Amino acid sequence: MLRVSALSGIIRQGRFGADRGQPGVTLSLLHPLSIVMVMARKGKGPDLDAALLKLKNVGVRWAGPGQYYVEATGLADDTLYSDLKTRLRDIASVSDQSHARVMLRIAGPKARALLSKGTPVDLHPAVFATGKSALTQMAHVSVHMTRTGTDEFTLSVFRGFSESFWEWLTSQASEFGYQVS
Amino acid sequence: MSGFRLSSGGLIDRNSMLNFKFDDKSFAGFEGDTLASALIASGVHLMGRSFKYHRPRGVISAGASEPNALVELREGGRREPNTRATMIELHEGLVAKSQNRWPSLEYDALAVNALASSIFVAGFYYKTFMWPKSFWEKIYEPLIRKAAGLGTASRDPDPDVYEKSYAHCDLLVVGSGPAGLMAALTAGRAGARVILADEGSRLGGSLLFENEEIAGQSGFEWAQGVISELASLQNVILMPRSTIFGWFDGNVFGALERVNDHVAMPAPFEPRQRYWRIHAKRAVLAAGAEERPLVFGGNDVPGVMLASAMRHYANRYAAAAGKAVVVFTNNDSSARTARDLAAHGVNVVAEIDVRRNGRIINVTGGKGITGVELTGKQKIPCDAVAMSGGWSPIVSLMCHRGAKPIWNEAIAAFIPPDVGAEFTAIGSAAGHMLLSECLSGGARAGTLKGKVAAAPECRDEAYAIQPFWWVKESTGKAFIDYQNDATAKDLPLAAREGYGHVELAKRYTTTGMATDQGKLGNVNAIAILAEASGKSIAEMGTTTFRPFYTPVSFGAFAGPFTAHHFQPTRKTPLHDWCVEQGATFVESGVWMRSSWFPKAGEDWLASASREVMSTRNSVGLCDVSTLGKIDVQGADAGIFLDRLYCNTFSTLSIGKARYGLMLREDGIVFDDGTTSRLAEDHYVMTTTTANAARVMSHIEFCHQVHWPELDVQYVSVTEQWAQMAIAGPKSRATVQKIVDEFVLDDETVPYMAAREITILGGMKARLFRLSFSGEHAYELAVPADYGNMAARALMQAGAEFAIVPYGVEALSMMRIEKGHAAGGELNGTTTAGDLGLGKMMSTKKDYVGRMMATREGLLDPARQTLVGIKPVDRSIKIRSGAHLLNRNAAPSMAADQGYICSVCWSPSLNMWIGMALLSNGANRHGEVVKIFDGLRGQHLLGEICSPVQFDPENRRLHA
Repeated sequence: MLRVSALSGIIRQGRFGADRGQPGVTLSLLHPLSIVMVMARKGKGPDLDAALLKLKNVGVRWAGPGQYYVEATGLADDTLYSDLKTRLRDIASVSDQSHARVMLRIAGPKARALLSKGTPVDLHPAVFATGKSALTQMAHVSVHMTRTGTDEFTLSVFRGFSESFWEWLTSQASEFGYQVS
Repeated sequence: MSGFRLSSGGLIDRNSMLNFKFDDKSFAGFEGDTLASALIASGVHLMGRSFKYHRPRGVISAGASEPNALVELREGGRREPNTRATMIELHEGLVAKSQNRWPSLEYDALAVNALASSIFVAGFYYKTFMWPKSFWEKIYEPLIRKAAGLGTASRDPDPDVYEKSYAHCDLLVVGSGPAGLMAALTAGRAGARVILADEGSRLGGSLLFENEEIAGQSGFEWAQGVISELASLQNVILMPRSTIFGWFDGNVFGALERVNDHVAMPAPFEPRQRYWRIHAKRAVLAAGAEERPLVFGGNDVPGVMLASAMRHYANRYAAAAGKAVVVFTNNDSSARTARDLAAHGVNVVAEIDVRRNGRIINVTGGKGITGVELTGKQKIPCDAVAMSGGWSPIVSLMCHRGAKPIWNEAIAAFIPPDVGAEFTAIGSAAGHMLLSECLSGGARAGTLKGKVAAAPECRDEAYAIQPFWWVKESTGKAFIDYQNDATAKDLPLAAREGYGHVELAKRYTTTGMATDQGKLGNVNAIAILAEASGKSIAEMGTTTFRPFYTPVSFGAFAGPFTAHHFQPTRKTPLHDWCVEQGATFVESGVWMRSSWFPKAGEDWLASASREVMSTRNSVGLCDVSTLGKIDVQGADAGIFLDRLYCNTFSTLSIGKARYGLMLREDGIVFDDGTTSRLAEDHYVMTTTTANAARVMSHIEFCHQVHWPELDVQYVSVTEQWAQMAIAGPKSRATVQKIVDEFVLDDETVPYMAAREITILGGMKARLFRLSFSGEHAYELAVPADYGNMAARALMQAGAEFAIVPYGVEALSMMRIEKGHAAGGELNGTTTAGDLGLGKMMSTKKDYVGRMMATREGLLDPARQTLVGIKPVDRSIKIRSGAHLLNRNAAPSMAADQGYICSVCWSPSLNMWIGMALLSNGANRHGEVVKIFDGLRGQHLLGEICSPVQFDPENRRLHA
């Protein structure tokens, strides 16, 4: 069964905005993804942290006290959710968010400047280092943001807001010139 | 022609000539000029007309405080009124127009106002309110609005874009004069994250025009060296053309960056302005000081200028304000003007110092100066007057959070209050009038840790002042506040008429209002008011400083969030399917919901009525994805829900759903919806569309604050699932066709069942047997990325039954026919009892709202409770909002019995029906009442009935 992203038909690949040599940012839609929210049961925070460390081929992103998004690619529907439900029994509550969130990657020398137009989070690498996540807001939309590299971030938003968010993101990226890949 | 371009010097590029227009006349200036400097260099002093008297006015200052030279800049949608000519960077093709004059700046018909000036004194505006009463609306107000006022805004849309952005730093430096540069350099060299912001077009502050000596170089050269070093530091951000306009809680500063105001049109993809929020660990105010005018007759004649502005124009822009200049002062700083002008070859005719040799009584001239008249009747011909009444530190930002500035006798000025280490003042902004103090203050403020850095050597010029507020011998008008045409005589008048408090005097005289907010005139005004009131200046104090330091355009506040982007749009996972089916959408909060699905020729009512009838006769499909869905898990999930809802959920069987009612703490109904139990420790709650986010916040609050001991976890799953209601007698047959290996019947999926199943060959789905329509109905949830696919499959499956899509209008009609409460009834005033749901309130457990729901007033039998209503004459339309009265009562507040909260055309009953809240309503079914609709002038009779008007036995639910 073919998963259809909320941004399917909205995103066009190519080069947009100002043309000043290399694009300031490259924007990519990460789809399909498996995204599962895990929330520590009462008093099981340390057990959850330990269990998450053992996971392989997944990204674990902080999403609040005792809460994480576990992310993976290339898995069939439900696989990650069922797997985590079994592994984390009595340690964490598990909720499938794979279809609930639309995830974008923002990479390039202007990534930080672009995101600073939306988030009050201090993105200086000494403050918001690679691997750190934050729950923030941009353009009136709640955003889960992770720094995945010096000049690389992922943002995930509720599916229903993704088109509106994309319009804002691309309008703000225009002055730097952006590539959609 | 009183002005000219000096033959050499200045920070202008004489090889780059720029053409511009002022009042349709062509001029030329140079790169580096402001509009004001280019006009002065072209011999134009007359730049505007004053607010009340329409007196000719010229430029007074060379910076942000300019009260007079306000122009309309640009044309069409880019036209910007009240722009200060002193801050406009000249660019090729610039177009500006003077304001507040008719028919022209040279010949202003309303200058006759000056002849009637005795009626325009302080308080004149308020006095027009008094007598005769009818004169205000018909005569005074239109006249005043026409005569007074500044520029006019464009009515065309602004073609430019505006942005918002955030920044963070260890040290924010406000102002880039000697103190600010020294602070930024010290902190920057130590590796701190520094932002240096300045409202000017280039960094350097006073060093761009004052002759100073620092570290053996000219002040200008020293500044250039520091700026280029700062520019080379990765940890330093330089922000010229950026005004820090406000200081807010948490050491947050607001800034306006004029990204493209210095060009005719922004380059493609670039904003005109950017609105910054700067989070600073520490900040220093190095904004400098503002020179004060002196108050004497004719101190507004074009050609009278602040002494510092006059040398600013000469030194920085190579523009002389006149050929024969008289300097008038009460302090030492104006000696610089005399010296610098003489060095440029400008004839300084006389230096009048109140401390030594008298005062200027009056300036003679109209649109330009012909001379001055001194004490002792001496007359001196001249064409420009440079005045200096002393210096006021620019304290504004430090007072934005409520602290008041402090009067300092030594420099006769208000200095900033101590607001703590997070924000300190340095340099002349702190009242330090020596250059060496500016540099050492900067070095100290820039040292965030360790030993204070050394400041470079410099040449100081001594400063002394004798306070001097008003040349009382003047016979001509002596202005305090140029922009508001307030004169020195207005303030004693205000004091005499009982408005002597500084805040009252401001309103009464308008002194200190409008775009310049009294930057130049306030201290003079306070001193004169203090004298008239018999108080000291310190006792009189200042008015309140508030953001914004200088005007900020609305475009910058709105940023990119205009028109369609005013708020985000939220689309359901079934949006594409709805579009395919021809939906008309309605904005419901931020959601776009399908409202109705018209066929050719149908209006909304015909479409929705058909959708209802098709659903009731066969089957319909509705997008209900917007309902809030919250996963509630954990060992204590059941107990948690028992406390949130007034009814019980811990006893709910796995695989079943139950309708739940949530109360607020005060016992009023908060929200409702069905909650299903999927496993022992796993529930999924639904909320109304409107309250989804509020319920989530309520849940978080209750858990974190009231019952942190409970083992419960929750997360929104609203967006994970596309949810469809399939309703009507053929709903089961339709759903059956897409379900995998599973027979739907009353055993496998009974009423209120909640099952996890698969459909379409392995797609995970949740099936609920719920009904909002009163029909045998289901809700089917599938993962959102499959939503459109599943809806299409259902349409195909239901084709043989002539399935229809239906929207929220049809949904609403069916729920009113069935008497289900929704937004109109869950309106923040109703109790469970009012809605006929009192029996849901458990007596066996505690829950939010239980105690407060037992208050006398909430149990009063006379409370307005939910009823159905229909017109006695079935052909008449009833409307929501109409009030209900006893049949024969005359309309009055006291006779009010209730009101209609929801109304619809009922296609099933073929008439208009409604739901109402009526006093003691449950006991009044069958009674005829008066429907009083005073707003629409409609009065008719209505019959009260059960809220459930269609299929009252609920037979269809189980059909």
